[in-house]
Amino acid sequence: MATESENLESLVNRRYEHGFVTEIETETLPPGLNEGVVRAISARKNEPEWLLEWRLQAYRQWLEMEEPEWAHLHYPKIEYDEISYFSAPKSDDDRPKSLDEVDPKLLETYDKLGIPLHERARLAGVAVDAVFDSVSVATTFKEKLSDAGVIFCSFSEAVIEHPELVRKYLGTVVPRRDNYFAALNSAVFSDGSFVYIPKGVRCPMELSTYFRINAANTGQFERTLIIAEEGSHVSYLEGCTAPMRDENQLHAAIVELIALDDAEIKYSTVQNWYPGDENGVGGIYNFVTKRGDCRGANSKISWTQVETGSAITWKYPSCLLRGANSVGEFYSVAVTNNMQQADTGTKMIHIGPNTRSTIVSKGISAGKAQQSYRGLVRVMPQAHGARNHTQCDSLLIGKDCGAHTFPYMEIKNPSAKIEHEATTSKISANQLFYCRQRGISEEDAVNMIVNGFCKEVFKELPMEFAVEAQALLNVSLEGAVG
Amino acid sequence: MLEINNLKSRIGDTEILRGLSLSVNPGEVHAIMGPNGSGKSTLAQVVAGHQDYEVTGGSVTYKGQDLLELEPEERAREGIFLGFQYPVEIPGVNNAYLLKAALNAKRKHAGLDEIDAFEFLKTAREKMATLDMDPKFLNRGVNEGFSGGEKKRNEILQMAMLEPELAILDETDSGLDIDALKAVANGVNSLRNPDRAIVLVTHYQRLLDYIEPDFVHVLSEGQIIKSGDKSLALELEEKGYDWVREAASA
Amino acid sequence: MKRCTTDELQAIVGRMPTTRDEDWKYTDLTRARDISSRWLTMGDGTPSSVLDEEIQRITESVEASWLVVANGEIRNLATVSGVTVDKLDEAPAGHHALAELNAALLKEGLRIVVEGTIDKPIGILVIDGTEDTSVSQAYIEVALANHSTASVIEYHASLGDADQYANTVVSLVVGDGATANHVRVQNRARNHVQTGRTDISVGKDANFRSAGFDLGGGLIRNDIVINISNAGADVSFDGLYLAGEGQHIDNHTRVDHRVGPAISKQEYRGILNGKCRCIWNGKAIVHEGADGTDADQANHNLLLSDKAEIDAKPELEIYTDDVKCSHGTTVGQLDETSLFYLRSRGLDREHATQILTHAFAAGIVARAPVEAAKEEITRLMEARLARMIQTDDNFSS
Repeated sequence: MATESENLESLVNRRYEHGFVTEIETETLPPGLNEGVVRAISARKNEPEWLLEWRLQAYRQWLEMEEPEWAHLHYPKIEYDEISYFSAPKSDDDRPKSLDEVDPKLLETYDKLGIPLHERARLAGVAVDAVFDSVSVATTFKEKLSDAGVIFCSFSEAVIEHPELVRKYLGTVVPRRDNYFAALNSAVFSDGSFVYIPKGVRCPMELSTYFRINAANTGQFERTLIIAEEGSHVSYLEGCTAPMRDENQLHAAIVELIALDDAEIKYSTVQNWYPGDENGVGGIYNFVTKRGDCRGANSKISWTQVETGSAITWKYPSCLLRGANSVGEFYSVAVTNNMQQADTGTKMIHIGPNTRSTIVSKGISAGKAQQSYRGLVRVMPQAHGARNHTQCDSLLIGKDCGAHTFPYMEIKNPSAKIEHEATTSKISANQLFYCRQRGISEEDAVNMIVNGFCKEVFKELPMEFAVEAQALLNVSLEGAVG
Repeated sequence: MLEINNLKSRIGDTEILRGLSLSVNPGEVHAIMGPNGSGKSTLAQVVAGHQDYEVTGGSVTYKGQDLLELEPEERAREGIFLGFQYPVEIPGVNNAYLLKAALNAKRKHAGLDEIDAFEFLKTAREKMATLDMDPKFLNRGVNEGFSGGEKKRNEILQMAMLEPELAILDETDSGLDIDALKAVANGVNSLRNPDRAIVLVTHYQRLLDYIEPDFVHVLSEGQIIKSGDKSLALELEEKGYDWVREAASA
Repeated sequence: MKRCTTDELQAIVGRMPTTRDEDWKYTDLTRARDISSRWLTMGDGTPSSVLDEEIQRITESVEASWLVVANGEIRNLATVSGVTVDKLDEAPAGHHALAELNAALLKEGLRIVVEGTIDKPIGILVIDGTEDTSVSQAYIEVALANHSTASVIEYHASLGDADQYANTVVSLVVGDGATANHVRVQNRARNHVQTGRTDISVGKDANFRSAGFDLGGGLIRNDIVINISNAGADVSFDGLYLAGEGQHIDNHTRVDHRVGPAISKQEYRGILNGKCRCIWNGKAIVHEGADGTDADQANHNLLLSDKAEIDAKPELEIYTDDVKCSHGTTVGQLDETSLFYLRSRGLDREHATQILTHAFAAGIVARAPVEAAKEEITRLMEARLARMIQTDDNFSS
């Protein structure tokens, strides 16, 4: 079956051949990483001296570290010296002028996913001034946010406009030398989002990278920092269901969340980057460090992710439950098809008393893909009354895929109540036959069963995201059965 | 409507149907009886198109077309309904969703528009009331955590919603208490009409006290060895299957 | 009997796993290394004066045909009809440091071959008792011929105040259609170190039932590796670990499903009180082509002290789709409602705790597949629980 996803793959692949090093613009640094490059990046962003120093320290630490090998992932060695660590945003001249210039097959996929017209233009990389709706929409949103006192801007802008906040919180959740990729990101991060919700404010809308005007060029080393002051509340949406046009193979992002007393942060991700072709050629390597710090009492951080893209995913959105009665949640759907590999999960570190965490992980593996759930639940000696419930299910489609679970439970307090359940199964022939006997096609039946399998996670997503995520799942698994 | 001619089928290396013939016309209710292992459920599964059963000989014609050529979902859309002996649990997929998807697949096949959500709910609630089912069942996962009786009622609800032309009910009476049996029988009886045929596969005569068949067939070792009217069922109940087998071989 | 030079032996000791190895992340063998290094310069000491007495007590307490390995030497070779017992001069060369150490230092190994159906359990007592620092090795091979049936009791014990490190390698082959019932009792002294590895290979349509009881020991590490490379294998194994003040008990299990259909089930339960640490790491690997695998792991822990730590790691690695695998792990305390109920009937908290912990542990004893061993296990378990609960008052907080 010549599926849409194959078509899409060939399309993205073609784009990929253009590569990120072939287009030498004056604003692009030559490949390689050294202190000069770090200084150049910082200089171009007009960063203050302290931030340059911070980056340089990260770089020096990175030099002493080794790339982790413990994950259940196999990929060729990354040549860090062949990567260019800074390229300025493309000028509009290099972009398609309108949707007419975009490959029709990509547009078909957008259609399948039910992406609104104005979004399609942005996603396909059509020049910003040709994207009619989003600018005005974004402006309206900006006003509404500033009325509420919410700061929502690019990371670079925050460094200039709100240096005291950035300096106070940057690297306090994910220290520079937390891991190899975190150190790399800290040295060379390109841009990202900055969110500050003042005390007692309930953010009047769901924040999405989509509405941040210059989101299109955050680059491969994205850095996001969200601070929720006492009693505030925010829901943040990252990524989108449509395949993003992206020319960087290595992505190493950092997300830091800080929730103070009684604050709540809900962070939802849909990741659908180019997964490589069915032979495993190309595709994004996605090494992400996401961590939330429930610093205040009664705070709550909730991660929800739908991961369908990337060739390699290495990602463990985690929660440090420091505040008394704080709550951490992780809801995840990960789909791997063809040659994709994902090693993903979460860490819940119970530090404060009466902290609670919930983990629901649904993994679907098809084709020749390999997927691992890796999780840690640690209850520190002082974390009296900690509770964790983990449900970790894998669904296998086809003989050649793999699904693995590596949960670690380290419990150092006797009052903890920890429950962990995991199952692995395939879509049963009986379930399929039952649906088909009711007149439903095999493909629809698979989609129905898979969506049923993931329901617990989808219900955590903001409504419109959930609908898109379901469609995305169906597209991602096309051709997996039959 | 359904013409089965000298049908042979096996699962793995085991021959189960060994030349079975049966003719079913619209408006008729047939009861297929027989001891365990005689091939009753196999017959039901073969007509519905289960992949594990290999047809090695004979033919099945349904409304003039070769049924064996059709995929299971095509058979369903053409009006064949199988009430499963062991209805499958599908966690996370709610009953209403499955029902609606099935109904719409059938409507689309017939060139009709999708059913209106309000209309669907109204019909579903009505049918549930006649089956004495709690409307809450609509929002539960398909058969998930249902008791045996609830699963069987759910099968009848699906049948009532899908309005098949040929309904085959495989051991729908097994594991039911008397109230559930009556509710299920009521559901089936309310669907009896001159355009619809019903095939009841059952081990016991009990169900036939509530659903009166036009024809009763006795299945043994993959063949129908005796056919008759409802009195045959009573006779069977009294004399047991060995009686028919002996009579047939004599 | 040392098969290599002291330098070579020191090198093997140096290769013993460290906490940098993922499989040894939670268990530090420094103590075993230290004892070994010290012993290498000293050699064997004087056997304990009460060794014989203890051997007699144990072998009389459980009705079985006993074979005894004392301080690494084979004491008696019982003659049992249908069973061939041989002494081995050496163990096969090991693939990892602990097996290397075993092969290098082994005095005498034991080979047991079973044919037909043996009613009386075969008992293997591995006991160490010396007045001075000691290191001992045991190597045991048990082979059940095709369609044979036997019960095997492994009993590990030790005596004395001096430092001791015992290292055991067991290989168990269950032939096609054979049934092996296996019980392992570990009741070493509270200051002694033991590492033990058991490799089990299960034949076509064979049954393997096992239960392991860790009721003593200071630093204990058990590795159970089950290889299913034939269809129709049915494997179930359970474990119980009771850890009190100062104990460290690590159970690592690994089941390789190479061919299906086959079943493997395991359930481990642990009770921890006082400053102690237990580890349960269960791994099931379903290899490509092992269709029809049904693998289930369960691990339940009762934590009764704020100084106790449990590290649980249930792992599944699955490379085919026709499988049913699951695991469940819980860590918790005694049910307060049940405690209250018992106390409202007039039992004091300590007694109520003992009743409930006993019930928790007894579930595993009840399933032990060798009837003859149950009485002794129950006796040891009850004594251990009574001491664990009396000597530590943390649970009552």
